[in-house]
Amino acid sequence: MSFETLRPSPALKEFLPIEYKDLVDHGPYGKNKKVSDMGKFKEIIEEHPMCAGCAMTLFIRLMYIGMPNPEHTIVVGTAGCGRLALSQASVPFVYGNYGDTNAVASGLKRGLDIRFPNQFKDIVVCAGDGGLVDIGFQGLMHSWFRHEKFATVLLDNEVYGNTGGQESGMTNKGKVLKMSPRGKKDDKMDMLGLAKVAKLDYIARLAPTNPARVARTIRRAILIAREFGATYVQAYTSCNIEYSIPTPDVMKDAFEIEKDRYGFEEIISDRAKEYLKDLEAKAKAAKKAKK
Amino acid sequence: MIIQDNLLLNRAEPDGLGGVQFLYKVKGYGVTAISKPQEELSHIHWEVDVIKYVTEIPLKYEVCHTTDLAKKTLKFYSDKALNEFLDKAFKYFEELGLLENMLPDNDRP
Amino acid sequence: MSNLDFVAEGKPADWVPLGETQTVVDPMEMFFKLPRKTEFITGSEAARESIRRMNVDVAIAYPITPQSETMQQAGYLYDEGYIKDFYRGEEEIGVMSACSGASRAGVRTLTATSGPGLMRGMEAISSWPGARVPIVLMDMCRVINTPLAIQPDNIEMSFMLNTGMLLLHAEDQQDFYDYPLVAAIVSEKVDVTLPCAVSVDGFFVTHARGQVSMTPKEYKLPPRDGWASAVPAMDNENPPARLSRDAPIQKSNFISYHMHSSWQQEVFAAVERSAKYFDKYLGGLIEIINPDAEEFLVASGAAVSQSREAVRQEGEAGRKVGMIKIKSIRPWPMRELVAALKNAKRIMVPEFNQAGWLHKELCSTLYGRTTGTMIGGPRVYGGMTMPTEMILEWLADARKKQL
Repeated sequence: MSFETLRPSPALKEFLPIEYKDLVDHGPYGKNKKVSDMGKFKEIIEEHPMCAGCAMTLFIRLMYIGMPNPEHTIVVGTAGCGRLALSQASVPFVYGNYGDTNAVASGLKRGLDIRFPNQFKDIVVCAGDGGLVDIGFQGLMHSWFRHEKFATVLLDNEVYGNTGGQESGMTNKGKVLKMSPRGKKDDKMDMLGLAKVAKLDYIARLAPTNPARVARTIRRAILIAREFGATYVQAYTSCNIEYSIPTPDVMKDAFEIEKDRYGFEEIISDRAKEYLKDLEAKAKAAKKAKK
Repeated sequence: MIIQDNLLLNRAEPDGLGGVQFLYKVKGYGVTAISKPQEELSHIHWEVDVIKYVTEIPLKYEVCHTTDLAKKTLKFYSDKALNEFLDKAFKYFEELGLLENMLPDNDRP
Repeated sequence: MSNLDFVAEGKPADWVPLGETQTVVDPMEMFFKLPRKTEFITGSEAARESIRRMNVDVAIAYPITPQSETMQQAGYLYDEGYIKDFYRGEEEIGVMSACSGASRAGVRTLTATSGPGLMRGMEAISSWPGARVPIVLMDMCRVINTPLAIQPDNIEMSFMLNTGMLLLHAEDQQDFYDYPLVAAIVSEKVDVTLPCAVSVDGFFVTHARGQVSMTPKEYKLPPRDGWASAVPAMDNENPPARLSRDAPIQKSNFISYHMHSSWQQEVFAAVERSAKYFDKYLGGLIEIINPDAEEFLVASGAAVSQSREAVRQEGEAGRKVGMIKIKSIRPWPMRELVAALKNAKRIMVPEFNQAGWLHKELCSTLYGRTTGTMIGGPRVYGGMTMPTEMILEWLADARKKQL
């Protein structure tokens, strides 16, 4: 999106809603906003219809802050809780069919590469465990093995939240949920293991306990995807409704789960490490030159 | 391209098996060339018979396996081979027509 | 930087994609003015030549008989540089979804499938019109029912009738060269912006040769203009909004049922608006032989070829039988059919499927608008053949029974 597109003519501006004027004057486009700037700029996502205390919403909010170029980013999602917030963002959102995200993103990215050969257009698939790991599994795997040039962000709430609490492939073994009345029989699917098998250049697992780390992880996933192909971020985004987590304790749960079993893991390929180092050096040099 | 001279009719293969039929006519004789669909594309070929027309309207002909041109149904795997055969056949039919004209009236076929 | 790095894929640095050496011509010039040369080629080869001139940006393939021949040819066209990006998808849901992604990016997108593949991709395909994505879908019909068979049967077309797709039915190899080019242009018209399927009866056309008259391969259609569309492309080149293009279609928290119904109305109105373009580029939505006849054969696809021969043989016998070839199934040529058939005494609809979807479409169009008798058949399916004789017998039988 060119900033000329974003900026209304002065005569028209006063008639635009305050919402839009704020995006123009105080939005993050082209300004490289950080988590520490929160509260001081107009964010990509503000109002949303998610449940009170939803950790997924916090994660999504941070994801948008982490985007290196939100003005050139398109998010692809599918049915699930996440899309309720994603569709309220001021970054275009493709709301596809069930489990089609990674196939849609493959076509979209290739198409945009043809139309905009001199401009990175970042695609981020952001969908839940049901959408990506169950119904979207085939598309997800093939996009990884084809090393399609976009990032996949899995909102892992370990349950089908939007349809009312059914167990998913990412639910832990033994958990009693709808459709697992005697407790889930099988283990949580090892998506990180599969990502390693597919030899992705960037793989990360985290909980939204450290906001700056969430933004950094997303940024890295997007930047590396541009150059080397598919990247994967798996985030624990608890469902306080279906897992009966009291609203004030959502973050306490996130810290506990992170400590007990989820942890933080980041696997970066050597070439991706080199690339990140190079980018950092360039950013530092640019900053120095500016001073 | 398939020879279009002396082409009487080009129609969908009338048995409904798919493909096309080319019907040529020179002096009462002619050639039917049929190309039908094949599961293996490389097997697509021409099935060719020499024919003798009974009437042109309505179109009626009999397969003729008694000429020197062909004693049976021929198969050609290329358009070039078919065209070469057609050239040969047209000349043959011209001569055959001339010869038949030389016969006494009651001996003509 | 992108998937378009041809050097990484083994091409020399000075390689010039052949597509870039082609000259862009106006569609009307391509369809009606450029000189043509006739070749005797298979339907799959006709499809390839059509794709070569289509100026395709992204083609996504998945093999299935009898379509495989076509998309593997598209692969060769990509290798030669006539198509900008190409890959083999995971299966049809993946392929059809990826096509919707590519088209959302604003580029010309093509795929092809057959019978069971169409069924597998149907969830994605049926969402294309609502997403307003122009896509050319070549559909080589084959049996979809159990038991499995690869023979021609066009029942699959009936599944597309009410999706909001544009749907053409090619009779032969020539149509399968011409129609996809027309489909690409019409589907991208701003007041249309819809996907278009070009169906053909597989095997009989794809795996058989026919005469195809083609324009020189040095000419191609104009490219898709990603900025001209009924809805903006998903390229993030528009002023930001809190609701993006796809979101208004979701009903749950934000959008009223009224919004969804008006969205559907608009899709089907766009189908009707496409008629004027098809009429122009196809030279009419229908073709009529013997317009003043009292008996008519009405057909689409391969059934037309057999009907033509039936009409010819009836003519030899001194009986004038009319024939209507329906080129465009969606938009449905209602006005044209009513005008052509209002005085017909007997209307027979030969079809290559068991359900007789064309007969049903025609019945609902002509109900109360003709006094003629509608005869649903003859029908062949599951790979059965339709000899000319069969149509002639049905005609004779109908006359005998004074239907």
